[in-house]
Amino acid sequence: MGEWTRVEVDFATSHLIFPTLIGIVLLILGAAILITQQREVLGSGAMWRETLSKMDKPRFFGGLGLTILYFSLMVPVGDFWPNTGMGFLLCSIPFVALTGILFMHERTLRSMVPVLIIALAGPLLVWWLFSDIFYLTLP
Amino acid sequence: MDFLGLISPLFVLLAIGGTLVGIIFGAIPGMTATMAVAICLPLTYSLGLENGLALLLGLYVGGISGGLVPAILLGIPGTPSSITTCFDGYPMAQRGEGEKALRIGIFASLVGGLISLAALYFFAPALADFAIRFSYVEKFLIILFALTVMAALSSNMLLGIFSGFLGIFVSLIGVYDVTDGGNGHFRLIPPGTDYWLEGGFSLLPVLIALFGLTAILEEAEKGMPKGMSLKQIEVGAHSRFSFSVFKGQVLNLIRSSGIGTFVGILPGVGGSAASILSYTAAKTTSKHPERFGKGEPAGVIASEAGNNGLTGGALVPLLSLGIPGDSTTALLIGAFALQGIQVGPLFIGNNGDTWNAMIVAMIIANLAMFVMMYFAIRWFAMVVAVPKHILYPVILMMCVIGAYTINYGIMFDVWTLLIFGVFGWLATKLRLEVAPFIIGFILGPSAEIYFVKSLESFGDLTIFFTKSWIAVILWVLIIGSVALSIVMARNNRATAAAAG
Repeated sequence: MGEWTRVEVDFATSHLIFPTLIGIVLLILGAAILITQQREVLGSGAMWRETLSKMDKPRFFGGLGLTILYFSLMVPVGDFWPNTGMGFLLCSIPFVALTGILFMHERTLRSMVPVLIIALAGPLLVWWLFSDIFYLTLP
Repeated sequence: MDFLGLISPLFVLLAIGGTLVGIIFGAIPGMTATMAVAICLPLTYSLGLENGLALLLGLYVGGISGGLVPAILLGIPGTPSSITTCFDGYPMAQRGEGEKALRIGIFASLVGGLISLAALYFFAPALADFAIRFSYVEKFLIILFALTVMAALSSNMLLGIFSGFLGIFVSLIGVYDVTDGGNGHFRLIPPGTDYWLEGGFSLLPVLIALFGLTAILEEAEKGMPKGMSLKQIEVGAHSRFSFSVFKGQVLNLIRSSGIGTFVGILPGVGGSAASILSYTAAKTTSKHPERFGKGEPAGVIASEAGNNGLTGGALVPLLSLGIPGDSTTALLIGAFALQGIQVGPLFIGNNGDTWNAMIVAMIIANLAMFVMMYFAIRWFAMVVAVPKHILYPVILMMCVIGAYTINYGIMFDVWTLLIFGVFGWLATKLRLEVAPFIIGFILGPSAEIYFVKSLESFGDLTIFFTKSWIAVILWVLIIGSVALSIVMARNNRATAAAAG
């Protein structure tokens, strides 16, 4: 094979060899996908429109929004009672309750009772199990 | 026999409890064995390696087995690996033979699980002994082979390969680790994010996201389809089951278990491939192929023996090469990592007691699965009616705990959960394949070390072809798997065109 297969690795830049190689492979594969699946690529706008039109938007975006809110509030709430896991506990109870109510189909008072019981008991049990029994750090 | 000291009452209890929880997860459509393992991983922190593995292996066996309950009673596969169980199990349930079909499936699952366990016990140490001789060159080629096999079995080969390489690319974000022989420099980190991405994305939050949050987002997108009420579920309690149904099916049982085990050994190939191949083999060799799809017990036997055959098989590449056999065993890597143990060719030799304890846990899990499901199948049948609006918020909360505790309390890992949960949802829309992505993500850092160190040592690209006869064989396998997938894709296109 000779000279052109020889490779000299400079240790100072060795962290870039593999990412560059994988990047090139991804570009080649991406181009191949674009060429071989032109029809699907060109029709992707229609696919997204169909996905959005068929989607249950309140449950999908509502669930996503509640999750972002849940993640965002855990640390600030937990900072009021450091190293107790209270951020997790106090945010999980309303999160489980609200997400449960959002996901349910018939929202009657009677059908909400099990959701509210689980929302209270679930996080409490998990908080006790992980912080008191397993000594794990919670937010 | 020192390992017997590790088999405590807690160990047995965890294997049985894990199996029970796994069956429940498998029985609920939309929830999988992988999800069960993902959310229970943090528990293994305090349990220790052997006890933690007993729990996770129980979840694995139970989760794969539980999928047959909704497959037979509702015609909806509880897990992807139960897809072919629907074909004959559901018609049997519709004609009032639900309980009979369930028990046929349960027994076939037990046989499949035990046969694959025997294969694991004898094959993994032999493969590990062989793999110890591998240099960085062969190790790199094995990873390349794993990726091409996965891509070959993807629904679209190009997208499968792309997904695998994308997984590698994402895994390279962060520092080129000095402990692995790297130079300690950062790469691929977007400006302003070096504080969080110094060590890259953690494996477990990524896995939990792709198997927990993504599944919940997909269900939310569909409006959280309502499950069936208990009154609508026809168990067919009066259908009589007798082991005589297995008369003439011994070959089918053994063949399907063998296929499942073999598919498990192939890196990264999931249970759905195991059950589909077993089912196809049973149908094509049957004297009555026309009965398949209309409630033929042989179809249920093939599917369930095949998918449970996967459980032992998938552990073979994990414990002998460090390459996960499927997505659930990929999570087991996390359990080992939590305890500071690296899986690979040296694992069995250096951790004999843990290895034996794993085998015992698998035996307990398989037997517990059979006893629990066989005698309490009517109770498990009720699980399919558990409302998802109660389960999913609790699962999301458990995902948060899993992600947060993995690195002893880093909030960025929780955000990783969200990032990759949304990515997983987008990926399915773009028809990217999650399994190759994960395997690429897990194996990416090792692939980099093996590749760069090979070049540093030998200074010539031809070393990847000329290092040894094993390298040559691996190249033959790599080219063969790509060629096979091209032929399969052409055949599928031709069949589709002929069908109109």
